[in-house]
Amino acid sequence: MDVHRTLDAVWKLESAKIVAALTRMVHDVGLAEELAQEALVSALEQWTESGVPGNPAAWLTAVAKRRAVDHIRRSRLRDRTHEHLARELDRPPGDERDEQDEQGDILRLMFLACHPILEPPARVALTLKLLGGLTNAEIARAFLVAEPVVARRIADAKRVLADRRVPFALPEPAELAGRLSSVLEVIYLIFNEGYSATAGDDLLRPGLCLEALRLGRMLAELAPREAEVHGLVALMEIQASRTAARTGPSGEPVQLHEQNRGRWDRLLIRRGFTSMLRAREAGGTPGPYLLQAAIAVCHAQARTAEETDWKQIATLYEALARLLPTPVVQLNRAVALGMAYGPRAGLELADSLAADPALRDYHLLPSVRGDLLLRLGRRREARLEFERAASLTRNAAERAFLRRRAGEIADGPAGGATLGEAVRGFLGRDDLDPQTIRSYGQTLRRLCRGLGEELPLGEVTAERVSRVFAAAWGTAAARTWNRHRSAVRSFGAWAGLGDLAAGLERRAAARTEAVAVSPGLLDALSGVSPRERVMWRLLHDSAAPVTAVLALNVEDLDLERRQARVGKVRVRWSAETGRLLAALVAGRRRGPLFLSDRRPAPARRTAQADLCAETGRRRLSYERAEYLFKQATKPLDPAGRGYTLRQLRPRP
Amino acid sequence: MRYLMMAKGGDQPDERLYAEMARFIEETTAAGILLATGGLEPRATHVVSAGDEITVTDGPFTEAKEAVAGFALVEVRSKEEAIELARRFRRIVGDGESIIQRVFEP
Repeated sequence: MDVHRTLDAVWKLESAKIVAALTRMVHDVGLAEELAQEALVSALEQWTESGVPGNPAAWLTAVAKRRAVDHIRRSRLRDRTHEHLARELDRPPGDERDEQDEQGDILRLMFLACHPILEPPARVALTLKLLGGLTNAEIARAFLVAEPVVARRIADAKRVLADRRVPFALPEPAELAGRLSSVLEVIYLIFNEGYSATAGDDLLRPGLCLEALRLGRMLAELAPREAEVHGLVALMEIQASRTAARTGPSGEPVQLHEQNRGRWDRLLIRRGFTSMLRAREAGGTPGPYLLQAAIAVCHAQARTAEETDWKQIATLYEALARLLPTPVVQLNRAVALGMAYGPRAGLELADSLAADPALRDYHLLPSVRGDLLLRLGRRREARLEFERAASLTRNAAERAFLRRRAGEIADGPAGGATLGEAVRGFLGRDDLDPQTIRSYGQTLRRLCRGLGEELPLGEVTAERVSRVFAAAWGTAAARTWNRHRSAVRSFGAWAGLGDLAAGLERRAAARTEAVAVSPGLLDALSGVSPRERVMWRLLHDSAAPVTAVLALNVEDLDLERRQARVGKVRVRWSAETGRLLAALVAGRRRGPLFLSDRRPAPARRTAQADLCAETGRRRLSYERAEYLFKQATKPLDPAGRGYTLRQLRPRP
Repeated sequence: MRYLMMAKGGDQPDERLYAEMARFIEETTAAGILLATGGLEPRATHVVSAGDEITVTDGPFTEAKEAVAGFALVEVRSKEEAIELARRFRRIVGDGESIIQRVFEP
């Protein structure tokens, strides 16, 4: 085992406890940290020579404390202190009072490291060093600064604390709120530097998020009655739950509403909810962290982006803006308003912020305005805003993302375009797979027929779209309706027309689709051809996909063993089905098993593999098979629509 | 990074062991390290698949010292930290074996 790495691990787990205990003994955090470092050095020497002790943490703590005692003896403190310290050292570990002191000391150390007389960067560095056990080099790497800068920051901070004789004590009740908010600020600063790196090439530095989460969870145990502490922990847990989902494969940011919610970490979300409950138990008026956590909870509770309760979020932002009237909070409120009450409401607030000098170089302002303008169909302005945002951000991944958004608008239709032109532009994109284009095409061609290709794009409204939908797909199955709905949404967003599906409710899947149809039921039907009977029974016996069964060729069949293989799918059938199948094959030796009733029209080109050499007939198509099944089962379906082939698959 | 620690064996739990375990769990939770933990029922159900066949059997019952008796999901900075936590845990529960495996996050 690598002694170095073991020691580093033990130190990181124990440093807060050790430094806190030593600070209590020598009343100087700088000295305490130096003594702890000395203990580390001797640990490295001894462990390398005689192996890692059985209980390395206890070893390290004891040696560090002994160093402190030696130091005190050397500096000739009063005898009384000596005795007190000697007693402290002799006390057995695990003493209950000892433990409480230990916890109290860590809390004192936190307040000390985050003291408001220090500059925020110094507070951050000192906290990571003393409570997280990070080395100067590690801190420097995390914040992309040179190591000597960190070393100087920490040395200066220690000196300031010593010069100003800042006591190692919990704050007085009168100043508790202010001091606590300084601690929370430091932790959240660390988290945010990890979560949304302001500079550099990576969007995430997960190490810092973990440090902040640890510090926050630690603080929540040390100060359990403070609602804001739990609020901050809840906020960080829930934000961290989205880590995996918020960057794409090449490191580009993925916006919240586009994130794959299946990749959110449910464990962290649950921990966040638990922290929220603890915050509520602590009581009091909600502070800024609790409000932000409540907003995060709203997002976490929505199973899809469309289900997000934006009205609630807008209300929470309003409350937050009263406590924290910063332009950044207002900007977030503008986003929420835009989602809850339409882009115009959001843009109104965003525009009022444009004059704020604090946001002059803040890339998210033009980026938010760009979004809202795009939804209002003001494409040219939107593009300029995205370009401006791209030139303001310091993060490379974000810049690339904003450039792409600007570029997408440039590729779209020009201002005076018609619906038809826009649809052609949309379907002509090369970033969609053919199947998606085919599916989108169905929806949009129907839309063009309903509204007229020549309709100016600006006049395509959600209301008009709703009318076309009602006429075209009003009675369609839920799946069909939802597919068309999502196609028109996608088109609306691309063309900058806002949410064209605003008037279209998403439909819950109809119950009939869950019904499994058994072949026994079908046997009662009269006038069904042997081909259908065999196909339906095969689908039911094998539970294989419809496409696989239709793709079966006669030569694939192993009639004796009652099985066949199509690609990776194995199809098996019962003895009864086997008898019917043998009759259907009736001497044919090759070619498609299920043939259509007619020969193909001469104009229609059919692939050789789908033609029967013996009869000249074509393979039965999915559409035709589905149609025949639907027609045949209409009398069985209480709703009178008939069933789909997929329903033949037995339910598990 | 996350590690799953699974523990086998250990002494017959008594009051002292329960108290020490509780303290260890509290400590690691308070330090923001322990994300989830729990004890496992010794009776395991096995679901075995071979080709298209899936068989479900209760058992076979492993010997007490071979069965996984508990698990802990910890969030640490390094494998060494996870090992150190496992050492502390083993010191509490006595003879037996712990298995540590990195968990790749979602």
